[in-house]
Amino acid sequence: MASEDEISLLVIVLDVNPIWWGQQAQREDEFTLSKCMDAVMVMANAHLVMSRTNKLAIIASHCQESHFLYPSKHWKAGDSCGDDSSSAGGDGKYEVLSVANKLISEEIRSLMARTEVKGHQTDTLMAGSLAKALCCILFLLGQDVKSRILVIKAAEDCALQYMNFMNVIFAAQKQNVLIDACVLDSDSGLLQQACDITGGLYLKIPQRLALTQYLMWVFLPDVDQRSQLVLPPPVHVDYRAACFCHRTLIEIGYVCSVCLSRSSPFSKKKKLKPAT
Amino acid sequence: MAALSEEVLLVVKRVRQRKQDGTLYLMAERIAWGPEGKDRFTVSHLYADIRCQKISPDGKAKIQLQLVLHTGESTTFHFANESSSLKDRDATKELLQQLLPKFKKKANKELEEKNRMLQEDPVLFQLYKDLVVSQVISAEEFWANRLNMSSVDHAVSNNRQEVGISAAFLADIRPQTDGCNGLRYNLTADIIESIFRTYPAVKQKYNENVPENLTEKEFWTRFFQSHYFHRDRISTGTQDIFSECAKQDEKGLKCMVVQGVKNPMVDLLSLEDKTLDEGYGSSTAQSTSSSKQSLKENSNSAIIKRFNHHSSMVLAAGLRKVDSVNDQASETSSTDGNSRDSDFFQPPIKKVKLQEAIEYDDLQKDCRPRMVALNLKKSDRYSHGPIPLQSQHYSTTQDIINSINFIQHEMASYKPCLTQVMSSSAASSAIAALSPGGILMLTGVQQTINQLVPNDVQGELKHLYSAAGELLRHFWSCFPVNTPFLEEKVVKMKSNLERFQVTKLRPFQEKIQRQYLSSNLTGHLEEMLQAAYNKFHAWQTRRMMKKT
Repeated sequence: MASEDEISLLVIVLDVNPIWWGQQAQREDEFTLSKCMDAVMVMANAHLVMSRTNKLAIIASHCQESHFLYPSKHWKAGDSCGDDSSSAGGDGKYEVLSVANKLISEEIRSLMARTEVKGHQTDTLMAGSLAKALCCILFLLGQDVKSRILVIKAAEDCALQYMNFMNVIFAAQKQNVLIDACVLDSDSGLLQQACDITGGLYLKIPQRLALTQYLMWVFLPDVDQRSQLVLPPPVHVDYRAACFCHRTLIEIGYVCSVCLSRSSPFSKKKKLKPAT
Repeated sequence: MAALSEEVLLVVKRVRQRKQDGTLYLMAERIAWGPEGKDRFTVSHLYADIRCQKISPDGKAKIQLQLVLHTGESTTFHFANESSSLKDRDATKELLQQLLPKFKKKANKELEEKNRMLQEDPVLFQLYKDLVVSQVISAEEFWANRLNMSSVDHAVSNNRQEVGISAAFLADIRPQTDGCNGLRYNLTADIIESIFRTYPAVKQKYNENVPENLTEKEFWTRFFQSHYFHRDRISTGTQDIFSECAKQDEKGLKCMVVQGVKNPMVDLLSLEDKTLDEGYGSSTAQSTSSSKQSLKENSNSAIIKRFNHHSSMVLAAGLRKVDSVNDQASETSSTDGNSRDSDFFQPPIKKVKLQEAIEYDDLQKDCRPRMVALNLKKSDRYSHGPIPLQSQHYSTTQDIINSINFIQHEMASYKPCLTQVMSSSAASSAIAALSPGGILMLTGVQQTINQLVPNDVQGELKHLYSAAGELLRHFWSCFPVNTPFLEEKVVKMKSNLERFQVTKLRPFQEKIQRQYLSSNLTGHLEEMLQAAYNKFHAWQTRRMMKKT
């Protein structure tokens, strides 16, 4: 077991893309965002009670903003104390958990309420949320902190965020921050690479209703404990690049020595770049 | 005797080797010795194998010559002919002295080349260990088509760099005192070459006098004793053969002075011996009295002259080849200097020379031409991830509005309900999926062969593959078999392959069987060998058919 003083920080990045979750709720009403929130809260609570020194942050990755659900700006010390005595204090629950749950549910409610309908913004701001998570980790880095990021991914990858995403991944690798990914829907090539590069676990779950079980089983143990467990083997990561001409993944292609653009062997002769 | 077809350069009779009388033969490429009365050689060394020869000191009762080989072995010959043993030995020594250097270079080059290749290429080294050290094939076979000897030779002959002469070569000889008021000079071929190149006059003398009038040894003794060598000393030897040389040198130096030297920093005319600190750099008063211009000054200027001559000869020896090119270069550079520095007082060439001496290119500031900036037209293409342009499902605006409304409605009434996050059946099926044998645990099966096989076995398999590949390459390169040599080689290679299979592959197979590795690791190797055998048998049967 880890020593008592060691701080373990878990940052959960939750994809709350309203479009994806709305469509999902319309398709099957068993697994909805509220169910997912419940599962994440269970995971968060479990992490907090594992050790007194464990720390937690939850970031909701919306298509308009990345928002800290916990810890939150609106959390004032006096507030929580007053709440504890009135509502949550009665059942003898661990205060940290009740405060956290209350905050998280409040924040997600207000976040979803202020969602505006904008047709052109449908992608989850995943790279931004990851960057925020890294900032949060770096903020605490002065202390002896073991930190990891858990991404719960719903909507599809966004090609436009590729550069930012990769930069975040390499930064995480430099800081020895693990990135785990739990994928609810279609496979994400970017996250596969992120997990592979940083040494985290990538898991696409076959059964969304049992999300809690997967989270508790696979993602709750930290790095040291994982080596003792039999966990799903790493997935084969596809590192192929997409060519510029057809946007298809290619195994062998040509790379321009000037501009480093790559083209598939099928494309017509590349035009010479004017280098001015 | 087959060896007699070789050119025999020298035959010495009555040479003992291991207390046995015999005859020593020096052939074009080897030295050999056969005992008396037998028609075969018991000792035979290629010159290329010999590292050096040693002789017994003069005055010893036994007159011997020892050959030391590259392998460290040595063979001693005892010249036993009473009347002429010393002469025999010296004749042998002289001949060997001429022959050995020729072969030495070649042998060393080859060895060095091989050594270098083995050191630079760990794979090759492993292959060498696998095939040659374990005696699957011989070293010659291994190197046969690895080293392109002709190319090496070619490179060597082309690249033989003209080595310049060290300015201090005479001082470096370092005579040793032999204890009884004499000096010993050890001359190597290099030093002699240096002397000849620096003092052509000495070479001329050498050619005139050796070996008709003097032996080589006497010549050099005289040289070092001569007035010429110790010109700065006052000597009275008049019938010196080198006295002419000094005059010739004088002439050469004069000629050089007349020609003039391009470099303005060099002044061959100033023969005054003056130090800088005399008079603190200000011009010293000219010594007026002629009587004071004594013997000493004369000898001083002689030394300076001699040094000048020595230096110029040393430089000339190095420059002889590039002279023509250099001339042009210096010409252009001087004109350059003229045009550029015309407004300076100093003679331009001098300035250029000074600049050459004090300025270094790599310390100059970078003044490279400015680079052209890369201007990308569609830089957004770089930020597309490895995501193919697939049928991404587009949702209509209505869909988006609907789903957002739906989720807002749902989340407005959200209350965490952590006691009922999932049903127990869902949880147990998830556990089943995550347990060994479950769906999520199966994904890596295809890749596990490299996890199943331990690393050392993998390494061994790699070595086997590279060794087998090398052998098979030799084998297949024999086809089409159209010369007797290739016929011989293909038969040999086939037996090599069989030997490889028996001595290397079989033990490996047994080893992996012992370790209960189920996967068939050597199947492909065996297939390759079998293909070679099939080819060999097909070739052999066809050859038999032709013969019958």
